[in-house]
Amino acid sequence: MISVQRLSKQFGQQLAVDALTFEIPAGQIVGFLGPNGAGKSTTLKMLTGMLAPTSGQGTICGFDLEKDVIEVKRHVGFVPESGAVFESLTGLEYLEMVAALYAIPADAARKRIEQFLTFFDLGFATLTDKLLGAYSKGMRRKVVITAALLHNPPVVFFDEPLDGLDANAAVGFKALIQTLAHEGKAIVYSSHILDVVERVCDRVLIIDKGKLLLDGQPEELVASSGAGTLERLFTQLTGGTEMERRAEDFARTFRP
Amino acid sequence: MNAPSAAVISKPANRALHRLFLTLFLRGRSSRGLRRSSVPRSVFSKLAFTLILYALVGCFGLYFLNGPVFTLSLYLHGMTLVFCGLFIAASAGETLFNKEEADILLHRPISPQTLLRAKLTVLVQVSLWIAGAFNLAGTLGGFRAIDASLIFPVAHIISTVLEAVFCTSCVVLGYEFCLRCFGRELLENVMTAVQILVAVGAVAAGQIIPRMMTVVGSHVTFRSDVWWVRFLPPTWFAGFDDALSGSGAGLSWILGATGVTLTAITAWLALGRMARHYELGLQLLGETSTMRPAQGGRRRFTALLVHVPPFSWWLRHPVQRASFILVSSYLVRDRDVKLRVYPGMAPMLIMPVIMLLNGHQDVGLGSFGVAFAGTYLGMIPMLGVTLLQYSQQWAAADIFRIAPVIGPAEVCAGARKAVTCFLTVPLVIVYALITLLLSRDHKALALMLPGLIMLPIYTLVPNLGGAAVPLSEAAEEAKSARRGLVYAGATVVAAVIASLAIWAQFAGWFFWFLLGEIAVVTAIYVPLSRSLASTRWSANVD
Repeated sequence: MISVQRLSKQFGQQLAVDALTFEIPAGQIVGFLGPNGAGKSTTLKMLTGMLAPTSGQGTICGFDLEKDVIEVKRHVGFVPESGAVFESLTGLEYLEMVAALYAIPADAARKRIEQFLTFFDLGFATLTDKLLGAYSKGMRRKVVITAALLHNPPVVFFDEPLDGLDANAAVGFKALIQTLAHEGKAIVYSSHILDVVERVCDRVLIIDKGKLLLDGQPEELVASSGAGTLERLFTQLTGGTEMERRAEDFARTFRP
Repeated sequence: MNAPSAAVISKPANRALHRLFLTLFLRGRSSRGLRRSSVPRSVFSKLAFTLILYALVGCFGLYFLNGPVFTLSLYLHGMTLVFCGLFIAASAGETLFNKEEADILLHRPISPQTLLRAKLTVLVQVSLWIAGAFNLAGTLGGFRAIDASLIFPVAHIISTVLEAVFCTSCVVLGYEFCLRCFGRELLENVMTAVQILVAVGAVAAGQIIPRMMTVVGSHVTFRSDVWWVRFLPPTWFAGFDDALSGSGAGLSWILGATGVTLTAITAWLALGRMARHYELGLQLLGETSTMRPAQGGRRRFTALLVHVPPFSWWLRHPVQRASFILVSSYLVRDRDVKLRVYPGMAPMLIMPVIMLLNGHQDVGLGSFGVAFAGTYLGMIPMLGVTLLQYSQQWAAADIFRIAPVIGPAEVCAGARKAVTCFLTVPLVIVYALITLLLSRDHKALALMLPGLIMLPIYTLVPNLGGAAVPLSEAAEEAKSARRGLVYAGATVVAAVIASLAIWAQFAGWFFWFLLGEIAVVTAIYVPLSRSLASTRWSANVD
């Protein structure tokens, strides 16, 4: 479903993504991890057709990232970390607009929107009464997730999808993506909440400074490294082991 | 539900995008706390009010009905270019380049051309509303011009549409050209410069047009000695009208054909050949700049400035100091603020310069020109403070309320001081130099004093009642037509003070006039300032 060979992105003198190579088959949930500034968002933007790579090749469902960019975009769904929406539209107006961009007929789109409302346990009035600017963060995130899945894409990228969701919605969402993967979708899940990644993902890719550091199943990686948890393995790989001690030192500076 | 083919996508996508951008234009891009039912009232009342104002201003075109079609049409197209140019200068940056939009739309299956076409259509559409309102009287009455035929309204509507398309395409093409030539590092500064040039060009065009007319016998006509004006866009579209519904002169056909051809070429370039650069611009805006902040350079300049006398004495209050740094940083760095403030101020700068230049040519007007320019300068801080209240990051201004600050007075004071420091003082110096250069008499500078004495009041007015807190209002609120009325009022006040200053100078009691003005300004400023200092944060926040 996703195939990437030596994919790189350079901004001026800065190499944001450095020759990434990996493949993701259908039905797999892949955790895409890295510290801040590691190049995760840039990679996701390249894989969703938002940003052209500087070098390397990549395909989504067989469509080239550079040559068939519109086809790539038709076959992916993306929940960006920012959760950006057009705040002066109502939820329904926003979702209908997104449906129109994928040429989904109005009645089919309405039916699909109602299915999502049912899934998130929301009434239809929620989508029509208020503008998105007045929604809570969690509500807005639900609309963004709905918008990403509305056209039933075979490949879905989630960047911090749980941000703002309440505990019940988060549980439901995790079950949703596992079922979507069983149905044959390839799912890329980028998050800093590593215990969720450990539980949900079949495989993890850890990158830092644009380079791929580790690729494998979470349990195997944790076992072979002897780190005990994915979180500890991650901090070992990305130089975060000193963080706990620094946090304690910093907290002590608040003593009266 | 499988994804449909690309060919099927384009039509509904076009419609959806057009509807989207028109809605965003009318409602604004952010509207925290609004209910749907409360939106249209404010938007449509503002828009209707603005269009009525344009229609009233357009009635001045009836004055040219006793002249030939070319003269009438030149006036209408010239002023249309001014109004549409100003609208596009103010709106194009926000419409074309919105950072958050990249995350929402760039991963959807739409080409940059489709996205650009939808935005361009909305810009042309709103330009046409403005042009339609302004041209209403002239279009309906135009067939009464001395050589007009009955098809004038039809010809004029077509040429107005062409002009709106030309104007919008030129601005978009300007952006695309800058993106191609300058890349992302210089993009924001170049975009600001393009918008300033558009705004200055539009206002300058509005000032040039009346100078091309002359009265012959009982009617107004076009001056034959200003041959160079044939290179300006309004003349091409006036030629179009004259060729189809006026004298039908050979030159008019050439001018009309030039207008049609150049409109087609700019639209083709903007929407076709150069559209790829637009997509590139959208992508780059979403990325963090790779430019490293210069050590000890601009990035730290304002932070250092506040600790150096006399700024450290002037900015003793910590909240004022923080607000000063915040506002001056936005004036230098923030694309959205720069695109609003500098192009928004550009028209204000043209008027006094033209008055000074007029005064230079006409000895009788010389003194008035200097005095008027001085008083007009007062509007620079007023406009600066007003425009600085709008930001795409307006929600972040909640920090002022979260902080233990009892009211907006000190925050606003810091913003006023930043405006004074970075906008007003440099421009006062520029005007003083122009005045010296043109009059070669340093005594002429004294006539600027009555205007400068008024500066504290002009600067304070936007903040009265705790309003215009810096960066605290959503960007789209800046479209209010009410601001135009405030500036019209301020222009009248400027003209009255300039006239009084001239009178005082001729009567020989200019010094006493200045003393009196200082006393009046102090008497007004002190209570206004105290009133602002006692203002508390408004309780009704979304």
